[in-house]
Parts: sequence; C-alpha cells; structure tokens
Amino acid sequence: MSNSHIFLKSGFIRTPSQNGVGRYVCQLQRVVLKFCKNNGSSRGMREFVESELINFAKNNPGVVVYLKPRRHRAPVISAEFLNGDKQWVSCHNYSKQDISKWLNLLRTQSGNTTGFRLRKLQHTDHPSIQGPWTPYTFKDPAENLAEYPNTELSKPKIQLKTATDELLEIFNSVQISDKKGVE
Amino acid sequence: MSLYRQTLALTSRLLLKQALKTRITGETRNIKRWVAPTLNELYTRRLKVGPEPPQPRSTFLEWNYEAEVFAFGKRLGEDFDKNILKQALTHRSFVIAEEEKAKQKGVQLEELASNRSLIKEGDKIVSDFLKEEFKEHPDDVAEALHDYLTSVDMLAHVASHMGLRDIILTSEFPVENSTLADTFKAVVAALKQSQDVARAQIFVKDFLISQLNGKEIFDIWNPEKPLEYLTNLLKQRGINEFEPRLCNQSAANTILANYQVGLYNNKKLLGIGWGESIQIAKETAALDAIQRLHYQK
Repeated sequence: MSNSHIFLKSGFIRTPSQNGVGRYVCQLQRVVLKFCKNNGSSRGMREFVESELINFAKNNPGVVVYLKPRRHRAPVISAEFLNGDKQWVSCHNYSKQDISKWLNLLRTQSGNTTGFRLRKLQHTDHPSIQGPWTPYTFKDPAENLAEYPNTELSKPKIQLKTATDELLEIFNSVQISDKKGVE
Repeated sequence: MSLYRQTLALTSRLLLKQALKTRITGETRNIKRWVAPTLNELYTRRLKVGPEPPQPRSTFLEWNYEAEVFAFGKRLGEDFDKNILKQALTHRSFVIAEEEKAKQKGVQLEELASNRSLIKEGDKIVSDFLKEEFKEHPDDVAEALHDYLTSVDMLAHVASHMGLRDIILTSEFPVENSTLADTFKAVVAALKQSQDVARAQIFVKDFLISQLNGKEIFDIWNPEKPLEYLTNLLKQRGINEFEPRLCNQSAANTILANYQVGLYNNKKLLGIGWGESIQIAKETAALDAIQRLHYQK
C-alpha cells in the first residue's frame, strides 16, 4: 500500500465564512474554459460550449464564465473560488459529459481541495455540550459527609476474586458433596 | 523587471525546443554541448530575479467588469441597481487616479462618482441595525458585540468572502482591509437605495450577524475583573453580599491542582467554577454567575 497520503496537507472539513447560516452563497466565483478551435483533444470542450454552456450560465448567474480559445494547446478548466483558491483541471480528450461533471464538482466545492486529506468525514467545534470532565463531575454526594480514614471508601472499587479464594471455594464445595456421599 | 523575467522564460523555452527539434529531425546526432550550460545559466538568472509579483485580477485578459458586477449581485441573491452598485465599488482613490491619467493624456473624463456618501450611509445602517438587534443584551455586552462585528478585520473578512476583493475599484493593490470594510458598508447602502432598508437589514443579518455562529459571549466580551463586576451587578439587584465557598479540591500542591469554588448568597448558588488555584476558580465562578444573572439560565 502506498503511504504518500501521509505527506499531504491534512485537516478537517470546514465551511468558509459561516456559509449557509444566513444564506447559501455558491463559492465558485469565476471559471475560465480554455480550449483550441481545431485540435482533437478539445473536441469535448467545444461540444460542451456549443450545447451546454448556455444552460450552465443560466442556472448559475453568480458564476462568471470566460471562454479563452488558444491555438494548439490542451483544453483546461481554471476555477477561482471566493476564498482566493484557484483550481486547474486538465481536460485533455474529455467528453462533453466529463466536462459538465467536473464543472458541477467545482460549482459545489468550497475551495481547492486537491492535495488535501480530510482526517475525518465529520467535524464539530463543540464536541461536548455538557462541558469538560472534572474530578467532581460524577462524584457521589454521600462522599461530602464521609469521615476519613474510612475503610469502606479506601477499598478498591473493583475487587476480583483471587486465585486463593477460588481454590477455597472449590475445596469447600467438594467437601460438602463428599459429606453428602458419606451420608 | 517583468519584461526581463518574460524574456528569460521565453529564451529558455525556445532554446530547448530548438535543441530537441534539430535532434529529432536528424540534422545532428547529439545535443550541442553549449545547450545545457546556457539553460542552466538562464535558470539561475530566473531564480535570482524571483517569482512574478501578484497582479490585480482585473489586468488579466479574461476580465469583464460588467459581468463581474452582475454576478456579484446574483451570487448574493440580491437585486442591485447596476449604477448604484458600481458607484458603491468605486473608491475616491480610484477616481483621483483616473482624473490624473486623463489630465496627462489631455482627454476629457466623464464624471465618476465615488462611494464616500454611501460608506457613511451604510455605516449608519449597519450600526443602527446591530444596536437594534442586540437590544436585549446588557449594554456593555451589546457594545462589545457591536464593536466586534463592525471591526475592520471582521468586515473585511465578510467582504472578501463575498467576492468583493477583485471587483473593488481602488488605486491600491493588494486591497487593504480598511478599504474592504468600507466597501461592505457602501454595498449595504447601495442595497438600501436599490430596494429598501428592510432588505439591507436582512442582508446584514445574513452575512454579518451570522459570523457570531458557534461563538460564546465570553469569546467576545470579557470583563477584566469579574469579581468586581459581579459585586457591582449584584448591588444593582439589591444583593450586597456573596460568599465564595470551596466545594471540592483535588491534587493540591501538584501541577494538576484543581479547585472548585461556588459563589453563594443566602445558601443559594449564584455560580460555580473551576481553576488551578482558588483565585482563578473564584473568577471563573464569577463569570458563570454573571452569565446566569444576565441571561437567567
């Protein structure tokens, strides 16, 4: 198994700037689709631009979409997020569907998450509502009135039977059954 | 300097391409011996010059200001008047810079309105609304909350997470926090002018007051001397005396020493707290008592 993930930056799942507490703001602020008008590797991107881009822009008026044709270069999606992150997705030989799936992923992300390992899939800032444990949290109120030294309270709370005790018990039970046999 | 940087990058790319091309087409059997040292030299020079300094996003080729301003309103789910919003984003420093540019070129410039008046108006809207919202808190707590939310850093944080950082028109780069904070106020005022005060207040509630989510009151407001504060507070409510009592202690005279102190008045618990010394425990108990008195827990 590869261990390369342990060198990734790691952290917990977070929401930028309390997004969704007041209202939800799409965190993708602009996206640049770069493609070539002739090259075969851009075919899917060109098809996407022809057939689906208008719908994407209509459904997401908060995302600014730029198109950047450039000759003989591979197609690329470059996304910019509200927290200042930039994500770059190479779309070499991607189909129309691939590109719309990637765009949907970028639209629903809160920032650039590549090279970032989530330590857990859930997180809370307040793990305990009850508060931290203290030595007095579950203390028996009867102990307030106890007088020390106190033999009862000085005993260990869990006292298991010792081997000697068990042997004695076996010995006693055998003796009783022997007596019964004699009678 | 940036031209020098670009020249270095371009030369090295062309050199490498040329060297590989001659090899592939079969003109020569090897890469010339000067190629590697030259590329090395160019590389070290590029390292010496350092990385490209950050450029404002608006200087990029793919930039459409109209589209950006339109998307800003839509992103937040608000209907702004386009001209008022644009005015809210235009700072005085930008107007001055533009005028000077026009003067140097000898061109007549159309009048640009800056957001000065909008900032003032927005400041008042935000401030009044926060005071209204925190009316039920005690005065000093309400003031602390108001100051916390209207601090430059907080407003700048909210503004930059709305996507204001790139679309502000100002002469400074990178945009300073105070400018971002001012722009947030101006945007609130622009919303009021585009729609009405109620809408602007909802906007402030959703974006600014929501920043208090997950915060405790003592994260933001902390009386310096809790015991004295509690004494004064109790006097106002007609209680002249309270008595601290040591409820529990453990591990005294060790580094894990722990004390629990309760504050009582007439055998009634006012507040309880813990600490590594009795004094600290008393103070945390006082904080607990203050919270219970203020919010009737």
